[in-house]
Amino acid sequence: MSVIGTSVRRADGDDKVRGAAVYGMDYTEPGALTARVLRSPVPAARIRRLDVTAAAAMPGVRAVVTAADAPGRSGMFFALRDQTLFATDEIRYAGEPVAAVAADTAAQAEAAIAAIELDLETLDAVLDVETALDDGTRLIHPDWESYETLVPGPRRGNLAWEARTERGDVEQAFREAHLVVEDEYRSQRQHQNSIEPHAAVARYENGRYVVHTPTQFPFNVRGRVAQLLGVRPSDVRVVVPTIGGGFGGKLDAMLEPIACVLAQRAGRPVRLLNTRAEELRTCGPRENAVVRLRTAVAADGTILAQDGLIIADNGANSSGETVACANVAPLVLGGSYRIPNARYVSQVVYTNTPPTAAFRGVNAPYCVFAQEMHLDHIARELGVDRRELRMRNLLRAGEPMVNGQQLDDAYLVEAMQTVDRLRPWGELTAASRPLRGHAVVPLTWITNPGPGGAGVKLEEDGTVTVASAAAEIGSGAVATGIRQIVAEQLGVRFEDVNVSPTDTDAAAYDNGAQGSRTTFGMGNAALEAAGKVREQVLDVAAGLLEADPADLELVANAVRVAGVPDRQLDLATVAGTALMTRGPISATGAFVAPPIPFDAGCMTGALFTHFAAATYHAHLAEVEVDPDTGRVTVLRYAVAQDVGRAINPQMIEGQIHGGVVQGIGYALFEDLRLSDDGHVVDESLETYRLPTSLDVPPIDVAILENPCPYGPLGAKGAAEPSIIPVAAVIACAVADAIGTPIRQLPLTPFAVLRALREGRRSRDL
Amino acid sequence: MSYSFTLNGQTVEATTPGLTPLLTVLRDQHGLQGAKLGCGEGRCGSCTVLVDDQPVAACLFPVANVAGRAVRTVEGLAAPGAPLTPVQDALLDHGGVQCGACIPGVVMTLTALLESEPAVDAATAKEALTGNICRCTGYVKIVEAAVAASGRGDQA
Ligand code: FES
Ligand code: FES
Repeated sequence: MSVIGTSVRRADGDDKVRGAAVYGMDYTEPGALTARVLRSPVPAARIRRLDVTAAAAMPGVRAVVTAADAPGRSGMFFALRDQTLFATDEIRYAGEPVAAVAADTAAQAEAAIAAIELDLETLDAVLDVETALDDGTRLIHPDWESYETLVPGPRRGNLAWEARTERGDVEQAFREAHLVVEDEYRSQRQHQNSIEPHAAVARYENGRYVVHTPTQFPFNVRGRVAQLLGVRPSDVRVVVPTIGGGFGGKLDAMLEPIACVLAQRAGRPVRLLNTRAEELRTCGPRENAVVRLRTAVAADGTILAQDGLIIADNGANSSGETVACANVAPLVLGGSYRIPNARYVSQVVYTNTPPTAAFRGVNAPYCVFAQEMHLDHIARELGVDRRELRMRNLLRAGEPMVNGQQLDDAYLVEAMQTVDRLRPWGELTAASRPLRGHAVVPLTWITNPGPGGAGVKLEEDGTVTVASAAAEIGSGAVATGIRQIVAEQLGVRFEDVNVSPTDTDAAAYDNGAQGSRTTFGMGNAALEAAGKVREQVLDVAAGLLEADPADLELVANAVRVAGVPDRQLDLATVAGTALMTRGPISATGAFVAPPIPFDAGCMTGALFTHFAAATYHAHLAEVEVDPDTGRVTVLRYAVAQDVGRAINPQMIEGQIHGGVVQGIGYALFEDLRLSDDGHVVDESLETYRLPTSLDVPPIDVAILENPCPYGPLGAKGAAEPSIIPVAAVIACAVADAIGTPIRQLPLTPFAVLRALREGRRSRDL
Repeated sequence: MSYSFTLNGQTVEATTPGLTPLLTVLRDQHGLQGAKLGCGEGRCGSCTVLVDDQPVAACLFPVANVAGRAVRTVEGLAAPGAPLTPVQDALLDHGGVQCGACIPGVVMTLTALLESEPAVDAATAKEALTGNICRCTGYVKIVEAAVAASGRGDQA
């Protein structure tokens, strides 16, 4: 029986439920020192004097480091190298590292931090993303022109980056439009808040840095540590213990370079672990943003053109993914509907605030929120049913999205029809009543196309080991998916496939647990390697069985002559024979998503240019609003999601549930606020509220299989996208419930009461 | 000060200031790293252990308060190599575990619930879990697992 499509238990599950799994936050080494970081108390300042002499002489202190110890300049994905590990002359955000200490005990490290002399001349903080680009605003990076970039991109002053996508004749289409609608939307910062905080344990060994860290993307951390410290990537080895959640927040180097440089200076292992407050204050959240959309439509609701401006807050530097993902905004705005003429400008702007970063779905949740509220506005103006407007403009198979990429396998209509079977739109609309609302939203999304390599070997006992540097972020991609794919290819039991611990020294480059790529990218690499192992097995077995390899099959941990059950060999025998005759059975595989045709000329400043292994989705929400408290209750939720091929349906459902609930938090209450003086207000989970079990509605899930020709066994990415349409569909449903549009996230009770009041006032006029 | 209590059935002694969080004693003195320091502020529940069969947030609970009482942690549920408890088993069977950082706390909360409630339905399980934040799973499969482990077999 095939293991593909079965809900096998995760290989790391037993240790996890027993409390035996060792997480990054649990890990330490003999003799490890404790580290603490001195962080800036203000958002903008010039450093007049920084003196660590007294601190370095204190009892138990083994190392004190500052900018002088980490000369490199870097940036996430090396896209824009505007970050130093420690502030040099200028402070650019409250919480920016200034110095770090390693000491025998935490108390000694804290005392030393307190003894560091730091004299600052405060500067005017630039905090507002919308005025940061105004003429005369102080430049946060006066040296911006000297920074290196991965690809050329338009930028100037406080405009860290600009990505543009433009196709067709937008002006002409606006001139000919039946109706032009214009709106502006705002969204907040959302913090990943993995249960495990960031943690790093580093040592310096034989001239190399060895760091244990629960990162999603070990090779990125390796490269970033190297760049910040001014060494070669191969001078750094990253080892990944069990990861206690990431959601994008653990893609980038954070504490690792600090622990590394301290360990080198101290000559001892160094452990650095964030508190929850440090997490909230300094670890990059999803960026706050403003989205302006102007759309031209025909009388029947056909979209003729769209003009969009997306202003995203980069924070003080590009140590998060916001610059790298700038062009994701145009792609997602123009990826679900037919928009023949489009112009999107995506600006990433510096402010004196903590850097923003990747959070599941990157720029998409607020772009989709804006697009969908805006479409409801158009539907209202035209008197067209909201679902009907969407169906009319939905991209069909073979039609191009905004970058000219033809979506040959578009499955949006099927996704919309599937949620309609689960929760029929006609019935919901017929049963509508005040303070109850519903909405439906389609989505096209990307699978991260990045590279990955794997090794597969047949052990002497007939089991299989995969060497891979893919990180098991919790999704089950390594703990189930890759093992299932390899087990299927080699006809062995799921339990007989092991995967090596994640270690940059032990396996080929891997592009990290991001954008749902592990089962897809690493799955492909492992599948290729397993295919080569299969050929070697058949070759050896053919000799032993005196049969043609073409007549052999791999079933139940054995090779047998098809149709002749008693002519078979177990894999251990094959492996043992191979050792004597040809050497060990092993092979490698490599993958990067194949190129897809698109119109490269329509984009500038784009690091993401197209949607590889695109997936298609529809989400539906039903909500109720309490007019006295403003509280929104999500009554019911439905998801139809194209996964290409479902390798492990139960794990996919878990990803869908988890993404929807994170989306509910984003839609209704999660909000990492900044004070007027540039400090993070929500520095504990008391005011940064996370969804609890009571916030979860019944969620209907339909998994759609629309295979990808270059996915492993047809699979596409499945883990990331379920968060993306949630804020949009809930906001549209709330707007439907109260008869008033929503222009800002999150929909806290106060915001909903305000909207209710405004709605009443405008109806009274 | 010295405080004596039972830890997973064995009598132990903790010599430490009375306000030391129980979690610190468990992790640093007894090497029990199952319970996690997720927030240290009593908000996430990843540090949940049982004191006289009641779930407590060990990151805040002072060790002085466990003197003479019985503390149980996730490590005390199923001996190494022994079969999982119904709660642990159901969590895996239903796909209720992703990153797993919340899971030791969830397991303890549900263990206490199942010991005190003969028949747990989805609403009761959700109510009991409000102190355990899970950022990964959306709780659906954890709730399903709780109901299944209590043997009622009905669904959320
Ligand atoms: S660590 Fe105790 S409640 Fe979070
Ligand atoms: S499984 Fe990751 S926090 Fe619950």
